[in-house]
Amino acid sequence: MLLDVKNLTVGYRTDDRQFRIAVDGVSLALDKGETLGIAGESGCGKTTLARALMAYTRPGSKIVGGNVFLDGTDILALPDRQKHAIRGSRIAMVPQNPLSSLTFHMRVGAQIDEIVCRHEGLSRRQAQEKSVALLAATGMPEPDAIYRRYPHELSGGQRQRVVIAAALACRPGILVLDEPTTALDKTTELRVLELVSQLREQFDTALVYISHDLNVIARVCDRICVMRDGRVIEAGDTRKTFASPVHGYTRRLLDAIPRVNASGPVRPLRADSGEAPILEVTNLKYRYPATGLGIPFSPKKPGTLAVQDLSFSINRGRTLGLVGESGSGKSTVASVISGIIPPGSGKIAFDGVPLNRAAPERPADLRRRIQMVFQDPLSSLNPRLSIGRILMRPLRVFFAMGHEEARQEAARLLERMDMRAELLDRFPRQLSGGQQQRVALARAFAARPDLIICDEVTSALDVSVQASVLDLLLSMQAESGVSCLFISHDLGVIKRVADDVIVLQSGEVRDAGPTSDVFTAPSHPYTQLLLEATRNVFDVRPAASDEAALAVQ
Amino acid sequence: MFAAIARRISLSFLILILVSLFVFLATEVLPGDALDVSLTDDDLAVLTPEQLAEMRAELGLDRPAAVRYLSWLSGALVGDFGNTIITRAPVADIIMGPLRNSILLALATTAVAIPVAHFIGILAAYWRDRAPDTIVSTSAIVGYSIPEFVSGNALILIFAIWLPIFPATIVLYTDGPILEMLAVSILPVATIVIGSIAYLSRLLRLGLVEALVSDYVERARLAGVSEWRVVFTHAVPASLVPTLNAAALYVAGLLSGIVVVEKVFAYPGLGLELINAVLKREVPVVQATVFLGAVGVLLMNLLADLSIIALDPRVRRSAGRG
Repeated sequence: MLLDVKNLTVGYRTDDRQFRIAVDGVSLALDKGETLGIAGESGCGKTTLARALMAYTRPGSKIVGGNVFLDGTDILALPDRQKHAIRGSRIAMVPQNPLSSLTFHMRVGAQIDEIVCRHEGLSRRQAQEKSVALLAATGMPEPDAIYRRYPHELSGGQRQRVVIAAALACRPGILVLDEPTTALDKTTELRVLELVSQLREQFDTALVYISHDLNVIARVCDRICVMRDGRVIEAGDTRKTFASPVHGYTRRLLDAIPRVNASGPVRPLRADSGEAPILEVTNLKYRYPATGLGIPFSPKKPGTLAVQDLSFSINRGRTLGLVGESGSGKSTVASVISGIIPPGSGKIAFDGVPLNRAAPERPADLRRRIQMVFQDPLSSLNPRLSIGRILMRPLRVFFAMGHEEARQEAARLLERMDMRAELLDRFPRQLSGGQQQRVALARAFAARPDLIICDEVTSALDVSVQASVLDLLLSMQAESGVSCLFISHDLGVIKRVADDVIVLQSGEVRDAGPTSDVFTAPSHPYTQLLLEATRNVFDVRPAASDEAALAVQ
Repeated sequence: MFAAIARRISLSFLILILVSLFVFLATEVLPGDALDVSLTDDDLAVLTPEQLAEMRAELGLDRPAAVRYLSWLSGALVGDFGNTIITRAPVADIIMGPLRNSILLALATTAVAIPVAHFIGILAAYWRDRAPDTIVSTSAIVGYSIPEFVSGNALILIFAIWLPIFPATIVLYTDGPILEMLAVSILPVATIVIGSIAYLSRLLRLGLVEALVSDYVERARLAGVSEWRVVFTHAVPASLVPTLNAAALYVAGLLSGIVVVEKVFAYPGLGLELINAVLKREVPVVQATVFLGAVGVLLMNLLADLSIIALDPRVRRSAGRG
């Protein structure tokens, strides 16, 4: 057995000086060349486990029991010096966030060099040759040029390739990947996953792949462990586990995944009311402000075009999904409509009224009628206001409610969002991510808007939480008849909420139409690529909701 | 990269012009002109209006303010600050010696403070919340809280009076030899250094603590990179970037501390010269010293900006960012 973990237990000291267990008696085994997926939601202990596999803990954490046998030696019992020698050479880690995992003031080449110099005692010249070869192996054109770049000069996908090259530098027997693609776009993720599979064979490395994304694990791993609260609750062959999960939690996780290639619309299509659309955008163009050198009187460079000639409309009570990867211009569209940034050229008509001014110059009632919900709820909720004050604000500003009335209404909104009214006196930081996002949604609905703009509202949430937030949004929408512009990079999510969809790439529309048409018969190759990147590879078993949909038909 | 440097330098220059305007205006808005300010009531009683007008013409004070400002500025930029009012000696000659001494004091302080502050800051950050950190952090707060006139006098009491090792006051002339100046400036340097080390090491500790828990440091550690390399090639340079600007502001603020210390030890520097010039109402000397002080502050900030450009490749490319 290459890696044999027995009863591994890791604890950490909390801020209030208590000792909590993060990984609770985990046992697992990995043979040469195998791929093992560790799945679980945030806080289940999977990242702590990944580090403990390398006999590493963060400051404040401690391995309190168990063994990690690497080729028969318990590495937990080794002296520090030998632990250092194993890390990076026999077992290597690809950490979570490629954007922050490279030292910003060092050239990327130097950051691979230092690893091979350390473990293989190569000279600087030999190290450089080896590093360039590694960069080439990750499929990057012009590895010589990449070698000399700084991290910020590379894209997210390129940086992740550099980190992978650094991890594979000494041909480790085991590669631990901790959510390696979570910070990346879907199409980039697909390419990185292909690379990982290819390098795994080329370097004959066993993989431990940690992710909250069951889709990705299904794509990469032969075997899977599902973790919850620090324990492995289910383990086995990936296909079998996905086809017939034993544990209820695993089943719930699988059901929560929004599916792209489920047959038929997941929910009944809302009929087109035949009225004039609530929002009509014609030939919208937006260019980023010009940037200069900052030297007085020096010439300025014109800004790049973020959105080119975009036209679309949203009908009353319907949801338009806006799909695209980072840099596609989708958030710019949201910002222009909500008035966060001044309008570009082109026409935007909201219920017949032109939206040609930024939000501060719009009449109060127009501001009320368009509400926006952001990706990161924690940074969009004022940390110094209680939940009650946050929710009462739009009520008092837009409807001139008194304190008592507003508080009652805020409590009602909170309960409508399946949250207890006691939370009114809490502060945003004291709530979970899902609760925070519900508060953000409640705040938007408090204004009784006609159009709600959701910008990646579920991207920061776990799948099970995401599912409940989406359900809430759909039922609130059905109740209030609000129209919605729903922005996401996740086609599964779009499929679930949107009646119509627009696919955006580099500021231009690639595909548009009713969601079911675009998803079943994509006309543009880019849409096909996106669909391929999100396709659920394990979808041998129709999800419960699909069965229901089929039964209706 | 050149654009970023050119931008910083051109900005500094603009600020310098603004500062000079401010210095000039500050002395201009006082009632009366430089001559009125520097003459005592006795002088005024003796001098006839004709003599006064003659002196004014001689000093160029009869010209309009704008003209005087421009001629003063064009002189100041090449190191000519005009003549004093009372002795008619060139201001530049008077402040040359004190300027050298103050620069000497500043350099000696920096040469001690920067390495020691780094050493202490790194120690405290690496053993965060453990014994070295607790000791360092506590004494830093104490050291930082003591004003220079207290610590200076305390040092004199201990090392010049109880243990007569160093001179209590400096009796050297303004243009004493450099080595002798250095020898007598140990106590003044020590006085300034106490506060600086306390403050700078706290600043460095904070930056380094942040860098040590970053993702890139963890990645390097998980790749088996030696702890020495992790700290000194990855974390420390990264921690300097946020620290430098604050440090530059602090060192600029030290100028006022230097004035106090020079007064306490009678050290013949620019600060002492400034105090004497204010007492003697020697307006051109005050203008010149304040102007040079501003140049010092700007140079420190420029140095910090340029060091950040050297340390952080992200700043080099994005010249447009602040």
